[in-house]
Amino acid sequence: MTRADLWPLIEPLLDRIERPARYLDREWGARHAPDAEYRVALLYPDTYEIGQSNQAIGILYDLLGSLPGVAAERTYLPWKDLIGLMREHGVPLFTLESCAPVASFDLLGITLPYELSCSNILEALDLAGLPLHAADRDESHPLVVGGGPCAFNPEPVAVFFDAILLGEGEEAAAEIVAAHRTARAAGASRAEVLRALARIPGVYVPSLYEPVTRADGSFGGMRAIEGAPAVVEKRVVADLSAFRAPVEPVVPFMDVVHDRFAVEVLRGCTRGCRFCQAGMIYRPVRERSADEVVRDVLAGLACTGHAEASLTSLSSADHSRLEEILRRLRNRLEGTGTSISLPSLRVDAFSVAMARLIADGRKSGLTFAPEAGTQRLRDVINKNVTENDLLETVRLAFEAGWRRVKLYFMIGLPTETDDDVRGIGELVAEVLRVAREATPPSQRGGLKVGVSVSTFVPKSHTPFQWEPQLPAAEIARRQGVLRDAVPRKGVDLHWHDADVSFLEGVTARGGRELARVIERAWRDGARFDAWTEEFDLGIWLRALEAEGVDPASIANRERPLDEPLPWDHLSTGVSRRYLERERERAVAGATTPDCSFSGCTGCDACDELGVGIVLAGGERR
Amino acid sequence: MTPGEFRLRVRFGKTGRLRWLSHLEVVHALERLVRRAGLPCAITQGFHPHLKIAFGPALPVGTGGENEYFDVWLTRYTGAEEVLRTLREHAPDDLAPTAAGYVPDKLPSLTAALTIAEYDVELTGREIDHTQVQAALERTVSAREFTMVHKGKQKVFDLARAVPKDVRASDRGETTGVELAVRMGPEGSLRPDALIRAALAGAGLTPSVLRTTRRELFTEDPEGEWSRPL
Repeated sequence: MTRADLWPLIEPLLDRIERPARYLDREWGARHAPDAEYRVALLYPDTYEIGQSNQAIGILYDLLGSLPGVAAERTYLPWKDLIGLMREHGVPLFTLESCAPVASFDLLGITLPYELSCSNILEALDLAGLPLHAADRDESHPLVVGGGPCAFNPEPVAVFFDAILLGEGEEAAAEIVAAHRTARAAGASRAEVLRALARIPGVYVPSLYEPVTRADGSFGGMRAIEGAPAVVEKRVVADLSAFRAPVEPVVPFMDVVHDRFAVEVLRGCTRGCRFCQAGMIYRPVRERSADEVVRDVLAGLACTGHAEASLTSLSSADHSRLEEILRRLRNRLEGTGTSISLPSLRVDAFSVAMARLIADGRKSGLTFAPEAGTQRLRDVINKNVTENDLLETVRLAFEAGWRRVKLYFMIGLPTETDDDVRGIGELVAEVLRVAREATPPSQRGGLKVGVSVSTFVPKSHTPFQWEPQLPAAEIARRQGVLRDAVPRKGVDLHWHDADVSFLEGVTARGGRELARVIERAWRDGARFDAWTEEFDLGIWLRALEAEGVDPASIANRERPLDEPLPWDHLSTGVSRRYLERERERAVAGATTPDCSFSGCTGCDACDELGVGIVLAGGERR
Repeated sequence: MTPGEFRLRVRFGKTGRLRWLSHLEVVHALERLVRRAGLPCAITQGFHPHLKIAFGPALPVGTGGENEYFDVWLTRYTGAEEVLRTLREHAPDDLAPTAAGYVPDKLPSLTAALTIAEYDVELTGREIDHTQVQAALERTVSAREFTMVHKGKQKVFDLARAVPKDVRASDRGETTGVELAVRMGPEGSLRPDALIRAALAGAGLTPSVLRTTRRELFTEDPEGEWSRPL
């Protein structure tokens, strides 16, 4: 396909749509390399304001764009209004930088951020004019490569991808580009290119694996063919410091979801919460040094002009030199009108002290995640937080002047009873009581406790990967128990839509059979399923039925330990032995400590991946 | 007047594809530009410390501006040419500053001072002839009263006051250009494209507005003389 500039076709559509700033490019930090011989389009399968803050895309944009002869450009799924006009006027999906058709690129990288993005991936491929199935694409089409959190059970979308990278892209992305260029230069066919990619550690080529069906018709695992590795193991970089965080990222014009400069202060989390997929798939913990973080925050603020920098990670309060970092940044940024934020806090006094260090007069609210309402259930999930921890933390926060806290809980966790659900209400009542006590009487009117209750969805590669998800009707009943148990005055209670969680559960642990369902649901109009107001479970239930796939057997059934799982051929480095042991300990209510600070707990990831925990030399507080 | 602060006025353009930004997006982009340029900016004191910066009248999404303005207060006097150069180095091309100069701190705000805006509106459409456009506009303007509905609210404009200069339509080959000045004020601002559409609809013409650009912003002195704010 020719590399046309589509802007003259797009601009006349802009006065008929919402928020044209999504489609303009020209932001500070956007990179243009019109003469590059190899072109990569990076797609986040949702709108600009959702995708632009994604740090992985930011890293790959920076890294691939810096390779000689390579251009990296961004593309997002347009909102429905523009999609409609583009289809009406025959305008294909375009990249922002050169406004060229995505189909004219050499490689299309798609991030897999969330299970329910699957319909948007198909919408994007179709809007780009690409065949949906990898098998239907030829040498004239870009290589379609996925990656991101949902790469660890990619089977529901696997047939739409030529290759999927498991784990971290800092080294592997450049290897994929190099392998593609080399193979193409040698005149390789698409099949040969794919075989070359399969030789790169961490790269999963779905077409080189096929499902095994047992004599009784049941699923017998995925089998490698044509010499592909039996198990693909995730990529991980030994030392984050070898890859500087991008300090000249794109500075968006429009308001995006995380509208601030972000520095990843550490990667991985070994607290070992048993429900948490991120805590398993990003192991081990690797911290950036305090000097690096301070340098990059200052450089990033200067380069972007952002008024706020966020220290991101799965649990930034765990950084062993956080206090030093925050004190140094506070000294450097005082009086500049810029501020530092922490996306997540632990339930402890240290976190409140850190929040005070950066509060700068603004005390909008603090967020904590006790996750469960009773100690018994918190032990089951290995959330090492006691009621006393929470109440003391809340007391400190309100004594320090905060008037709002937000608490995250889950319902539907393994072994949960109605008493555990009511326990959330009792805990919230205690939090309110402590918050009132710690607040001067004249200020108690503005006191607020936000309570956000999500539904537990068992995820692959976790100790709970064999657990049944509660059916939506039972979740709805427990949400009723929750509503009656949580105090009303001073509390904002929100819970997740049980239907959304159900479909999330089906796509989180389904196999390759789901591809047909996703394709049918998309053809029947499923789009933007992650947007609550766009989600329509009916479309999905009809697609499941039409394709003869029983969602309950995927999501709501307890799986025996000896049953092959659709992700058994993909490894995070964490051993199955560890997951099984953690599952047993969960049922027994036994907790497991954090290996970054109290000795190895035997998940095997370090040995398996040939890397180790990297701490910044401080002491965890 | 705040002692130790210097009020710098900057002229900039909202051009090219960035005419599709909203006013709020332009504001955020300019605030970031000013911080990126590392200017010694005054920071407001209080609960939410932020840059001391003030903007001229808003432009709608899709409308460009060739000579727009903002004021920023600096804590250290730096030559205006040097500030301009630094700002230009850190600006997206389509939002680039074109002039900068210090103004007395006691001057009224830009939104209060800038009461005249000159627009250029480009029309396309079959059978649109600039003489017809000229005639239709003159007819509408001479009728004196114009009612505009914006966001459900009805506003009535006295056109003798709201259109302070003769309207001029011209033939530009593929398009028809309309040059139009409007007076802005606390009672509301006339949208030039709305006036043109209404005028032409009254004459049975239905052009499409290809592009609206605010060419100039002026202050008006008691004698009725217009001048640039910088």
